[in-house]
This record gives sequence, structure tokens and C-alpha cells, in this order.
Amino acid sequence: MLNRRRCDGISRRNALELGLGGFLGTSFVGGLKARAESQHGGLVPAGKAKSCILIWMDGGPTHFETFDPKPDAPMEYRGEFSSIDTTVPGVGYSEHMVKLAASLNDYAMIRSIRHDQGNHGAGNHYMMTGSPPRIPVGCGAFVSFHPSMGSVVAKELGRDNGLPSYFSMPQMSRSGGPNFLGARYAPFVVGDDPNGANFKVRDVALPRDLTDIRFGSRTDLRAKVDRMVRLNDEAAGDPVLAFDEYFQQGHTLVTSPEAQKAFDISQESPETRDRYGRDGFGQRCLLARRLVDAGVPFITVYDGGWDHHSDIFGALRKRLPSWDNSVATLIQDLKERGMLDSTLVIALGEFGRTPKISTLAGSTTAGRDHWANAMSVLMAGGGTPGGTVIGATDRKGFSAVDRVLSPENFVSTVYHKLGIDPNKILYSPQGRPAHLVSDPTPIAELV
Amino acid sequence: MPRLPAFPSIAVVLCLCSFLQGMSLIADEPPIVDFENDLQPILTRFGCNSGPCHGKARGQGGFQLSLLGFDAQQDFDAIAKEGRGRRVFPGAPENSLMLAKPAGKIPHGGGRRIDVAGPEFQTMLTWMRQGMPRKAPNAPVLKSIVVNPASAVLAPKQTQAIVVTAKYSDGTERDVTRLTAFQSNEAPIAAVDETGVVTAGEITGDAAIMARFMGQIAVCDVMIPRIETIPADDYAVLPRNNFIDELVWQKLQRLNITPSGVCDDHTFLRRVTTDVCGRIPTQDEVNAFLADTAPDKRAKLVDRLLLEPEFADHWANKWADLLRPNPYHVGIKATFNYDHWIRQSFHERKPWDQFVKELLTARGGTFRDGSVVMFRDRRQPEELTTLVSQLFVGVRLDCAKCHHHPFEVWGQDDFYSFAAYFSKVGRKGTGISAPISGSEEFVFTGTRGAVTHPVTGATMEPRPLFGEAPPVVEGQDQRESLAAWITSPNNHLFAQTMANRVWADLMARGLVEPVDDLRATNPPTNGPLLKALGEHFRDSGFSLTELVRVIANSHVYQLSSLPNDTNVSDTRNHSRHYRHRLRAEVLLDAVTVVTGVPAEFDAMPPDSSAKQLWTHRSDSLFLDTFGRPDPNQDPPCERMSDSTVVQSLHLMNSEKLFRDIGSDSGSAKSLADSSKTGEEISVELYTRVFGRKPTPDETKLVVDLLSAEGAVRRQVIEDLMWAMVNSAEFVFQD
Repeated sequence: MLNRRRCDGISRRNALELGLGGFLGTSFVGGLKARAESQHGGLVPAGKAKSCILIWMDGGPTHFETFDPKPDAPMEYRGEFSSIDTTVPGVGYSEHMVKLAASLNDYAMIRSIRHDQGNHGAGNHYMMTGSPPRIPVGCGAFVSFHPSMGSVVAKELGRDNGLPSYFSMPQMSRSGGPNFLGARYAPFVVGDDPNGANFKVRDVALPRDLTDIRFGSRTDLRAKVDRMVRLNDEAAGDPVLAFDEYFQQGHTLVTSPEAQKAFDISQESPETRDRYGRDGFGQRCLLARRLVDAGVPFITVYDGGWDHHSDIFGALRKRLPSWDNSVATLIQDLKERGMLDSTLVIALGEFGRTPKISTLAGSTTAGRDHWANAMSVLMAGGGTPGGTVIGATDRKGFSAVDRVLSPENFVSTVYHKLGIDPNKILYSPQGRPAHLVSDPTPIAELV
Repeated sequence: MPRLPAFPSIAVVLCLCSFLQGMSLIADEPPIVDFENDLQPILTRFGCNSGPCHGKARGQGGFQLSLLGFDAQQDFDAIAKEGRGRRVFPGAPENSLMLAKPAGKIPHGGGRRIDVAGPEFQTMLTWMRQGMPRKAPNAPVLKSIVVNPASAVLAPKQTQAIVVTAKYSDGTERDVTRLTAFQSNEAPIAAVDETGVVTAGEITGDAAIMARFMGQIAVCDVMIPRIETIPADDYAVLPRNNFIDELVWQKLQRLNITPSGVCDDHTFLRRVTTDVCGRIPTQDEVNAFLADTAPDKRAKLVDRLLLEPEFADHWANKWADLLRPNPYHVGIKATFNYDHWIRQSFHERKPWDQFVKELLTARGGTFRDGSVVMFRDRRQPEELTTLVSQLFVGVRLDCAKCHHHPFEVWGQDDFYSFAAYFSKVGRKGTGISAPISGSEEFVFTGTRGAVTHPVTGATMEPRPLFGEAPPVVEGQDQRESLAAWITSPNNHLFAQTMANRVWADLMARGLVEPVDDLRATNPPTNGPLLKALGEHFRDSGFSLTELVRVIANSHVYQLSSLPNDTNVSDTRNHSRHYRHRLRAEVLLDAVTVVTGVPAEFDAMPPDSSAKQLWTHRSDSLFLDTFGRPDPNQDPPCERMSDSTVVQSLHLMNSEKLFRDIGSDSGSAKSLADSSKTGEEISVELYTRVFGRKPTPDETKLVVDLLSAEGAVRRQVIEDLMWAMVNSAEFVFQD
């Protein structure tokens, strides 16, 4: 079965990564996999960012009603919202982005990324991995052909401090997986709502009714009953050694006050929690910041429901004010704490939305449909020059026309800022080489 | 290339001969350089046409070569004609980009590749001075390469140079070692450098050194036995339950290693029950098996397990991993029917050739005939080609879809000729309309459709990968011919691919790894054994149960995992049993048995087991954590079998597991409520969780805990159960 292949490849790789593998034979494939090289011969970008918070606006957020309004376009294009000034002269935002408009000096806005994947499955994959899907992909599809940014960052920057290196809240994003990097680099999903009264992170805290003392006696007991003979000779390749290592790591995580502190959102003052917004999204942004405090290199805050085929104005009137507040607060809070230089914050979805407002058959309200020719992407921190607005779309917002950029440029910028060479060559388990990003050119204005 | 220094003199003579035949040799005038025979090997050898450089699909810096030089015309055009003539200047060849870049005279993204003083530089220079001929007059065609030696037995750290000789159509030979790429499949056992010198490592084992020159491949088998020899008698007295043992002992004897001892009865019981039926043994089974004194009790146990319904669910679950589509793609009912057909086939113990024939030639509606759903899921002949060749013949053709396979003989001709078998599959009804894909679709024998070669545009005729297939009769489904070829008793790869998979399932490691990648350049660790297993499987009428039986009955299967002095570093040759973590479904079902609290799954009847799930879309945090295939991944069949910290955390802290262990309807509670003594409780817990009796120490531990001052009986039992479930002895198969 295919699984045995994974079993071999990966359990041996674990052993290698745990420093056990000096004499282990690696197969041809394993050997290739363990080899990752830079074409630049070691010229790795000196990234300032140590962590990245990705706010993933799943469904494809409209660029018109957020960061790229077209107040001069005809009504059927510009929509119901008006435009407001930002801190950058000549740059306007849609009316509900009040706080982000007032703080544009703290971050950069890219309005000219475009690609050619107009459905959710494919667009998610392209923006989440920097690689277009290899085969045509349907809208409902959840696909993975290439490791996601989160998995790559977990692999490259993860620390063996017991904390997972890649979180996704409250669910995994489509195409957010590790692909051939292996299960170790899959996101750790925190499904529960941090806005809930009894919030805690699944599996990372003791079960609710288990006392510390009883947990202590259980782990003592485990040491006594687990008598399977360990093959400590590293050449034997005993997978149980990795299992022990992970148990120990997990135990450290559960018993370490620092790690537990990261998850304990109730340690934040009520003022801070209010400031972020008392809803799931706001509290997830706050929890993401706490995870950054604890040294987690990549956190995805998944924010679904941006697929506004209908009722776009009604829905966004309700949603945008709190969204704007939460994101602006996150950037502001990081700045106040002196963490913005070492933390990259990005917010985007898989594409923008159609310029012309439409009403789908069977719908009574207007919406905008999928549109990959233009989208807006927010990027803050990690040395990103604030107040930078890159590129522009045309008068009606059809297409990025000035400083046209690709998903590859965007993903390369993220890697560059985190000190990861986007031109690195990865090897799949089949030994097939793949560039981390096929076009490793970062966006010059942002690095 | 007679100018290359350090050639064995005989080769120089042969080389010169080849040129003498082709032209009149004028003194001091270098012979005409042939693009294919002389120049392309340089491009390959120095990595110019490799995947990360100019060989990638869009080339590099506007300069694109065919991947690994399989298309001479394309490469010639790219060098000699394109690039506005900057790549080659016949007038001033030294200034050509073709020389200046790789020689590092001007900036080159790939760095300095070629030495100006070396022979390759001279060959390229000469070629340009001669006006870049496409072909030298009467240039012979490369036919094959041979490596010398073809096999070697080395002592640790010993070195051995490999010489590679190319054979041409005109009978000439050349030493091409310098231009050959070398690769070891087991570098820690035997490494090879770029000049073809093999250096043995310090681990006992064997490795295949692949030599690759212009699409031709040859392999040198290298073995590094232990230095201390073992008396032949030590092998002569080893048990031989069937042919497997003999063939494994032969290999071990050549390596000078001896097998571990036989495993305990309780270890065997848990091993064979998890392997054959995907469940842990019950307490009754443990008691009965340990008490049984019959000498053939192990073989009887294997026979009994093979008759269980759980055998079918377990193996169907494995094959569903490989075949089962995403219901969001093909639709829920189609997925359900497909799973049912797969599962039912295993319940019927359907012969493997029949299973594959039915699958490949399926006709009917997706709401009635589950077997057709593969053709709904995989709609293009190309998709079917990669799936079918990999699963049933162990040939990975993916590479050959877009370019010649870099390590094998397969090219695009082979790929699209094979794909042509699927060109006339007819489909009618509701196509894919994700995410619902609601209605029925029919698959039938069509009359239209063709597969064309993406480069030449030619319409491809169906042709098997090798050997002969029954001709396609007018009006007959082309797939019948393909299915007959794949499942033919003469197709050794069909039997061996399945034999290797099943071997890997029971022995935790395939004779070939990856298990579905059988090729000359990925040789099995025990070739005679793979051959014999394939033949045994074929001769049994492709019976899966017989294949499982013969492996489980071998003495090799029943070896202990504990190493002896000779075999600790053997992780390839089955001189001891290799441990592995129980697969997600098996582990979850085991947890259910231990806690006594049934798992509940969506879209399944009550008391269903995890291995009966018909889709990976049925929510289960446990199964996801322990690596069941992610239906979102492509291909969806990848299953993660390694350990992760997330798994440790889940066993440690899962609310559900905590509640189940402490449940009022669970086994811990009923054990606590019983009148059993401490000793009886220890026996009950150890048989239930670990499938064995406790040692006196272990009984004492339990008794002491239960009788300690202030001990709460139920709490002690729950804590013990938790501790045991979190132990390696529970999570792993030993």
C-alpha cells in the first residue's frame, strides 16, 4: 500500500530530524527528500520577520468594497458604498474600512496582483502555495499539489519547543496542507471559538475534569507500564524512539506554563479583548498574536464567507466594520508592543470580484462574482514600508494595469521576509525537483 | 571524443575507429563533432538540461532544452538557431554564450559548470568551429551502455571504480564514464561520486548504483556484507516453513547476518490479528491461543482469521485508500456504490485478476454498478493511464506524460499509446458538477474518441507497455484488450506489484520501495523472493488469501523485532520484524474495544468500525490525527503513517478519549464494579489492552496501586487504562 511508503519515508525522516539518523540508510527517495538546495549557493534573504499571521478571506473578497473602490465608475460598477480618504494622498478606501484607512502608514497595500484561476479550488491553491494547480480544478475542490506557505514556514522556521509550528483557526484553509513535506508540517487546527466562555485549545490542555495531580500520576504510571523494549541503537531505525520524543514534547507543551499561557486568552485584559472585537474573528486575531508571542512561526486565521454572489452590500455593511477594527487593532497592537518588525501580517483571499454588479438567477439581491484579474492584498510588518501602495487597477476595476504582479511575486515576498529562499529546490517523495516558487522574484518595493 | 584524457587505450582505439569509418581523417584536423553523440552528453552531464535549470518546462533565462536531452532536434534548434544567434558565434566561438556562461566568463545563474581547460570545453569549441553540424557523417546511434563491474562485493570503506561503456549501432564502443551520471539508491550503504567511484559505507547491506548516459541506463549491484563470517551450518538449521524462508536465509547468508529469534505467542497473535483483520485480539482469543499447545496453532490461527468478515473490511479499507474518490467530486451515491463494490469484492474473496478485469472494463450506471465509478472520477485517458499503470503494473508513467521518464525507458509514445486504450470510453448522463454531482452517469463502450501525441499530434493506437496484448477486435471494448494484457499470467509485473504491496503490508517494508515503483533502477532488496512470491500468487489463481497465508506462515514473518549481534542495522532484508504504528482505523477500533464505548460515525449504522467507513469525509478527529488520507490532497491516496506530536497530544488529552475511559457505560467502570481481585484486574487489563498476560511485576504494580491507602478503585483502573493506551506497546505493532 502507498501508506507503507509513507511509513518508511517519514518515520525514518523523523528519526533523522531528531538527530538519531547518523547511520540510518536513507532510500534513494529519502536521500533526495532530505536534500534541499539553493540555486543561489547559500544567498538566503535576510528576513526580518520571525512569524507570519495570514488572514485568509476565503471565498474571494471584493476589492471594490474594501481597498480599491471606484467612485468615478458608473453605478453598476462602483456599487452602493462611497469612498473615503486614507492617510496616503490620492488613495481611497471603501467607506467601512475606517480604521485601516486611518492607519495605512503602518502597512502596505497591493492592488495589482492578478492571476488566471477563477474558481475557489484553484484560486485558493494558487494564492496559498504560489503554484497554480497542475490540472483543472473545480470550484468545490480542495486540492493540494504543492506545500502551502504555512507548511513551508513550519518546516523552515519551526522550533522544536513543543509548540506546533503552524496553526490554523478555526479550520484548515483549502490547499493549506503540507503536500509532500509530510504530516509533521500539517497545520494544528484550533477549532474552538476563542470568544466562547470556556475556550481552550483542543488536546493541548488537560481534559476539563482531569486535575494536574492526576495527570502527573498518569504519566508516572505510563512510564511504569510502557515496557516495550526500545531499540536504542540508532541504526535499528526503531520508530518507537520518535514516538517517545513526541510524547515528551507533548508533555512539555501540556505542563509548560509558557506554552499554556500562549493559549490562555483569558489572560488578556477585558479592554484588550474588547479592542480586538468580541467575536470569533477578533479573538482569533488576538490569539494569533499570543501565539506569535510564544514563538509560533505561522498562524492562519481562516475567515470564511467572502463569496458574495448575492446580498453583497447588506452582508458587508454588517461585517466590514468589525473586520476593519480587528485587523487594524492587530497591526496597531503589534506595533505598540514592538513586534511589528518581526511579525508579518497579510490579509487576502483567492481572488477579487467582478466589476459589474450582477443578480444571479434565483437571487433577489445583487452581488459580485469571481474575478481573478484584480485583487487587493494587505501586508504589514516584517520591515514592510508603511504607507506604500503598489499598483492600480483600471478605472472600473476590471484589471490590474499598473505594476502587474503575480501570486508568485506575492508568495516570494512572504518567503523573502521570513528569510526563506523562494528559489530553493524541494524534492517530492518521487524525487521530482520543484522550485519553492517558480518565479522567485519578490515585490521590490516591499523588501 | 578521442580527445578526452585518461581513457583506457582500448576505448581510444575504438573511438577513433568509429570516426575513421565516418570520414576521411585529415592529420591534425579534429574529427567532426556529432551533436547527439558528443555534444548532448555534455549538456546532460553538467546538468544544463536538468529539471531545475534549462530542462524545466519554461527553460531558464529564455533558454530551454529538452529535459535530460531526450529531444535532440529541440536542443539543436535551441542552441544553434534560437536566441538570435547569441548562443553560438561560429566566427568567435569563445564568445558564444554557450561557452562563456558555463565557463563562468560572464554571469551565469547556474554558476561555473565547465572547466575551460577540460575536454568538454574543447569539444564544444570544436563543434562551433566546424559550423555546428547537426550530425556527423554516418554518425552511429547509441544502442546501450554496460557497466563494469556489473556487481561488486565490497568491504566497509572500500572503493570501486565503475567504468561505463557505450555501444553503438556500428558495433563501436566508447568509454563514456566521464559523461555518465551516477546515483546510488542507498547512499549510506554505498555512495558514488560523479566520476563513478563507489565508496562502501560502514553499514551492512546492498545498494544499486545507477549509471545514466543519454537515456540509457545500467545498474551495478553493490553488496557490503558483515566482515565476520557465519558458519554455513547456522543457516542450514534455520526453520523453513515455506519458500519464503529459504530465499530470505540465502540473502542473509550472503550478508553474513543471522535472523532474530522467533517472536512470543502473544506477539504473534497481536501481529497477525492486526495485519490480517485490522483489529486487536479479544481477551478470549488471547486466553485460548496462549493455552493452546498444538504445534500448528499459529497456522490454524492464520486460517481462521482469513475467513473472518473483518479480513474483507480491513483489506477493502486499504484498497479504498487507493481507489476511492472524493464524494464532493463524483457525488455521494456514486462514492457509496463504489465503496460497496470494492468491499463486496473482498468479502467474496474475488481473485485479484477478476477484480482488476471488472474494474478496468466496467460498464453501467454509477447508481447501480459501483465498479464504473473510477471512470466517472478519472475522466481523461491520461488520468486513467497514470492510475492504472501505477496501481496494477507498478509502473509510474506520470513523468512520461510530459517528458521522457528520467530514470526509465518510458517516453511519451509509451504513455499515449497506453492512454489510447481509454480513448473510447463512453459516458452519458450527468457529468461532474462539484460539489454535489447529484445524478447518475453511465459508462459504456463508445465508438468515438482518440488520444493524440501532444508533440507530434499523431493519433495513437493502443499498445501495451511491453509484450503483446490481444488485438482489439472491431466492435469490442478496447479496455478488454488492456485488461487481458494487465492480468495475464505472463505479465510478471501484475503479480509482483500486488505481491510486493501485500508483503509490505505484513512485513512493514516492501521488497521494492515505493511499493508501486517497480523498475530496473529501483531493484528489489530480494529479487528471487519477489519473483517467487509473484509466481506463487499467480499460481494460486491470484488469491489474496493465499498470498497473505503464505507470508504469515513463513518463519520470517514470525521473527522477533529484537535484534541480535549481527542484524541490528538491517532495515531492508527482514532478518527481524520491523515495527510500525497501527494504522488510523485499526488504532481507533482498538481504542473502542479497550474503552468499551462504541465510536459513532456519520452516515454509518451504530456499532460500525472505523474500517467500514465508506468515505474519508466522515468526520473523525482521531482518524484525521492519525493520518488517514486527506480527501483534499492530490492524489487522495496518500496516507501518513508516521508519528507526530499532534497524535501524542490527542491520545494524551483528547476530551473524547478521557470521557470514554471514564464513561459510566465503559469497561473501566464495569471492571471497577466487579468483584475481581487486584490480580484478576491486572490480567483483565493486560489481556484487553496489550493482548497478553501481565508479568508478576506488572501484577504487583496493579495490586499495589489498588490497595494503596486512599486509592479509588475506579480511578486507578482508569488511570492504568489511560497509561496503557498511551504506551508504545499499544500504539505499535511489534
